[in-house]
Amino acid sequence: MVQYLPILLLIVLVALFAGGSAAGSRALGPKRPTAAKQGPYESGIAPRFGPAARFPVRFYLVAMIFIIFDIEVIFLYPWAVMYHQLSTFGLAEMAAFAVVVFIAFAYLVSNGALDWGPRQRRGGRAPVQLARSTTSSVRRVPRPVELVNGVAPRPLDSPPGARPAPAEAPNPYDQPVKSA
Amino acid sequence: MGSDPLFANGLNLAVWLILLGKVLVIFLIVLLSVLFMVMYERKAVAYLGVRYGPNRAGPKGWLQSLADGTKLLFKEAFTPRNADKAVYKAAPYLMLVPIMVAFSIVPIGGRITIAHHTTELQLADPQWGILFLLMTSGLAVYGVILAGWASGSKYPLLGSVRASAQMVSYEAVLGLTTATVVLVTGSLSTSTIVAAQSGHWSFVHWNLIHTAVIPFILFSIAITAEMTRAPFDLVEAEEELSGGYNLEYSSIDFAWFYLAEYAALVTNSAIIVTLWFGGPNGPTIDGHSVGPLWFTVKVLVVLYIFVWIRATLPRFRYDQLMDLGWKRLIPASLIMLMVVAGFQATSTSGGNGAGHWLAQREWGLAAVGGAFVLGALLWRAIDVGRQASEVEEARESRLSLERES
Repeated sequence: MVQYLPILLLIVLVALFAGGSAAGSRALGPKRPTAAKQGPYESGIAPRFGPAARFPVRFYLVAMIFIIFDIEVIFLYPWAVMYHQLSTFGLAEMAAFAVVVFIAFAYLVSNGALDWGPRQRRGGRAPVQLARSTTSSVRRVPRPVELVNGVAPRPLDSPPGARPAPAEAPNPYDQPVKSA
Repeated sequence: MGSDPLFANGLNLAVWLILLGKVLVIFLIVLLSVLFMVMYERKAVAYLGVRYGPNRAGPKGWLQSLADGTKLLFKEAFTPRNADKAVYKAAPYLMLVPIMVAFSIVPIGGRITIAHHTTELQLADPQWGILFLLMTSGLAVYGVILAGWASGSKYPLLGSVRASAQMVSYEAVLGLTTATVVLVTGSLSTSTIVAAQSGHWSFVHWNLIHTAVIPFILFSIAITAEMTRAPFDLVEAEEELSGGYNLEYSSIDFAWFYLAEYAALVTNSAIIVTLWFGGPNGPTIDGHSVGPLWFTVKVLVVLYIFVWIRATLPRFRYDQLMDLGWKRLIPASLIMLMVVAGFQATSTSGGNGAGHWLAQREWGLAAVGGAFVLGALLWRAIDVGRQASEVEEARESRLSLERES
């Protein structure tokens, strides 16, 4: 047990150093809290909502799949230490285990369980409108079917006669205001 | 192995003093190497970018990191309103302590005798050295997750969730490739691993050569991602998360994260040297073994390569990062482990040494064949997975279009 003593002493020393520095910082640093300083930082914008409570399920999936491999690693270490004594028996045993794990892993991959990131969206609806309107100045890139003669349709407020406007539901805000 | 001769005669005053001295020296090595490393990195990156880098504080600017640390000491340590107070305060220490302690199992080279007490130049040499290493790198994840979660703010939380998934993914690779070294050596003790790599023409006996280089490459990629260094520094992501998990920290608490990051860099470089480059082994000078010198030289080279990579490579995208980790590195490290195990297996056709050396390694060749089969299987699985994702995506898209019309 005495072999563990140096590590324990180092932990104590690091803790003392860290605690001492923290105490020093508390004594030396100023304390002028303000509401703005203590608020959550969001690049200068006053936050209206708290941080997200839910996260994409893929993060949990990764954590679960990691457990499989972590447990495999746990099994591997004692085997690796004893490998030269076990020799071919050890090789066969671990090969059987590794192949089973590997096939299960390949099944996961073939299910798309480990695919990340934005997939190639094929024809999903973008949240912004094709044409510019008074509610939004953001236009999205048109889908291939929406191209008119191979080019993007002009926005509604472009000069008349340039190109035909897209056949889309009329935006009520784009209608001329009727004067009373 | 696995026991320091210092404790052979029990604990007395001299042993205690030597022990305390060793603890202090290791602690100072880590602390000073962090101060050095921060400057080394800034200088190297600056010169690689044809700039001067910091050159005002101290001789040629070498005291800049000390000045930064002192400045942080005098800054206000505030606690955000939304923070979970206890966890928020504890997180930096949770990250700092394991990383600073990890250096204790690194063999620096040889033995010395002080006042009739022989001791190893290594703080502790437990039989579970490698496991201790994996434990400390696993504990570092907690610091990141808890710091991000306890801050009660959006950017840190996003950063820490990213970080946890990233570190967890690459930890599997780390474990599998380290197992390759354990397999070749047959021991978890770091001093045994170093001793097994010594011999005439030292570098031929390095684990780098013994395990056919590929596990080392996988290990270095994994440890870069594990430290969340460039090109895998999505955790910091200053463009989109403006700093990530340590965003809400200030003053000395922030300094701990910085210290932990660079201490991890130094310690992991030392561990790369220990596991793959023969640790302090090297040619003797005038018949004296100069382990610490070779150790320092090798660590500096590895550190420079880390800096070089940071200055050269652009950052990965998150899906590329996860794809690389899960679909390339993990299967590759598992397969390499089995291949190395196959070549290490003793031949069944009589160990008389006759015949071509490859002919005595039929298990290794069998493992290579199996690796090709499994690799082809995975290749197909990746393809099928991509198609499955696309089909699902097309279905969702069609449903959403039908809902609209």
